[in-house]
Amino acid sequence: MNKQARGISPHGKRAESLKAWLIMLPGLLLMSFFVWEPLLESIRMSLYKTENIELVEFVGLRNFISVMGKTNFTQALANTFAYTFWSLLIGFFLPILLAMLIGETVRGKGFFRTAAYLPNMLPGLAVIILWSAFFSGEKSGVLNILLSRVGVPRQSFLTRADLVVPIIISIATWKGAGATALIYMAGMASVNPELYEAAAIDGASVWQRVIHILLPSIKKLAGTLLILQIISVFQIMYEPMVLTKGGPDNASLSLMQLMWQYAFGGSMDYGKASAVAVIVTVILLAMTLVYTYFNNKESDWD
Amino acid sequence: MKKALRTGVIREYDMHSLPVRIGYAAIYVLCFVMVVFAVFPLLWVVLAGFKDLREFMSSTDILPRSFSLAPFLKTWNQLGIAKNYLNSLISVAGSVVCALIFNGLLGYGLAILKPKGYGVVKKLVLFSLLVPPTISIVPLFMNIQHLRLGNSFVPLWLSYGANAMYVVLFIQFFESLPYSMIEASRIDGCSPLQTFFRIVLPLSKPICAVVAIFAINASWSDFLLPYLVLRGGPLQTVMVRLFVFSTEQTVNADAMMRSVVFSMIPPIILFVIFQKQLTDNAVSTGIKG
Repeated sequence: MNKQARGISPHGKRAESLKAWLIMLPGLLLMSFFVWEPLLESIRMSLYKTENIELVEFVGLRNFISVMGKTNFTQALANTFAYTFWSLLIGFFLPILLAMLIGETVRGKGFFRTAAYLPNMLPGLAVIILWSAFFSGEKSGVLNILLSRVGVPRQSFLTRADLVVPIIISIATWKGAGATALIYMAGMASVNPELYEAAAIDGASVWQRVIHILLPSIKKLAGTLLILQIISVFQIMYEPMVLTKGGPDNASLSLMQLMWQYAFGGSMDYGKASAVAVIVTVILLAMTLVYTYFNNKESDWD
Repeated sequence: MKKALRTGVIREYDMHSLPVRIGYAAIYVLCFVMVVFAVFPLLWVVLAGFKDLREFMSSTDILPRSFSLAPFLKTWNQLGIAKNYLNSLISVAGSVVCALIFNGLLGYGLAILKPKGYGVVKKLVLFSLLVPPTISIVPLFMNIQHLRLGNSFVPLWLSYGANAMYVVLFIQFFESLPYSMIEASRIDGCSPLQTFFRIVLPLSKPICAVVAIFAINASWSDFLLPYLVLRGGPLQTVMVRLFVFSTEQTVNADAMMRSVVFSMIPPIILFVIFQKQLTDNAVSTGIKG
């Protein structure tokens, strides 16, 4: 009892430490099995020839050479950067704008917040199928119905190589932008309204207050959300899989989709699939490092 | 309630200026446009569900000819969705339990117990946030196959016990708890595990609710790992069926739209019940689930 109360004897401390590790053990085992080990394993697997679920022969970098030598890889790499570009163009600024708009409302703010968040709750797969009906090239496609009302002839949206990537990004933005806007609202709420009041009295116009007070308040948050957004764009896989099957002519094929095709698209080439996964991981880590290098003042993560 | 308080950039004082008042009206117009954008696709898919195949493919009206529920019932029965619903519910229930217990205990260790060497684990967890989970789905699937856990809910349940985001949420919350209470229970002779269940958990209902809601929604919507683990078997969930429908095109377009409606009902119910917690939470914790 006394020993416990003081909690300083070396023996008691070691026992406590052991107990603490035991408490964390189940969680650690699961993290290892589901997250950490597969990550390392994909590096190992990328260096092997695989047959079914077994590794049969060490082949060095041959998987990488074979994967990167194909035109669908260069296409998928270029597409993934195109996804990132469009996502930054469409998906990055819209939430900030929405947050600013909703933040200014007085009556109905709760209603607007709820409506903005709603699409984020819907299953991603259901959202993609739902929008596939909107962009369908048939005359019963919703967008075609709406366009025909204003006299625009029937369009085939999903077979146009220049449109598929922006369309997929728009759908992802439809789902996520409102919820991201609520996060920005949290950042903006850190500004004391009296500050705006004071600036107004000093003669700052509404626009000047936005530029000099509101936007600086979310600068750091925007940086963090930007990197998280890029990470999630790199994950794009089932969206083109369901909407366009990567088409037309691989114009919407993403890197992760290429990985899925190698593994589960019939050939069961898990080694090559892992090679693609490793490449994506390296690109993501490089981008994260660049981000932290430019943002090294203070980390958000600790 | 101080609901009608003006918290934005535009102050009461600005409303005397006409341009600002016009701009303010424009803000409301844009907000309503956003509401229409957010809600219309949902409304449309429900309306489309009332159309039979011929009407769905040929009609250029948004509204269906009749509002009979018969097409919904027919699709529900023909595709045997009831069984998939049951599977989904079992999958979700186990996932939530695992999400709370395993991530909670890990968070407790990292935020409160802090044994020697915990810093390394915490860094690993934070690092895991930056790695998209699908990236290692191939080796994970092979591990599951090696353990002969295919066609079972067990790997799906347990995968929710290994979520770095939930661990971080728990850590942040536990770090805000009054340390004196935890210290007091330790001095009273409680073991760390007893302290967790008697002191920490009862104080942590808000964060448990948040993690539970996120886990329910995530595991309901999940289909990539579930597809790999459950495909072809008797345990397929609603989302796995929907994924199969969409990639193999084995169902007609109208039945597909009704399946989409079926898959959205539970998340929408969840949203209606917990909308306040969800939106408050996104605002206060900066997590969108």
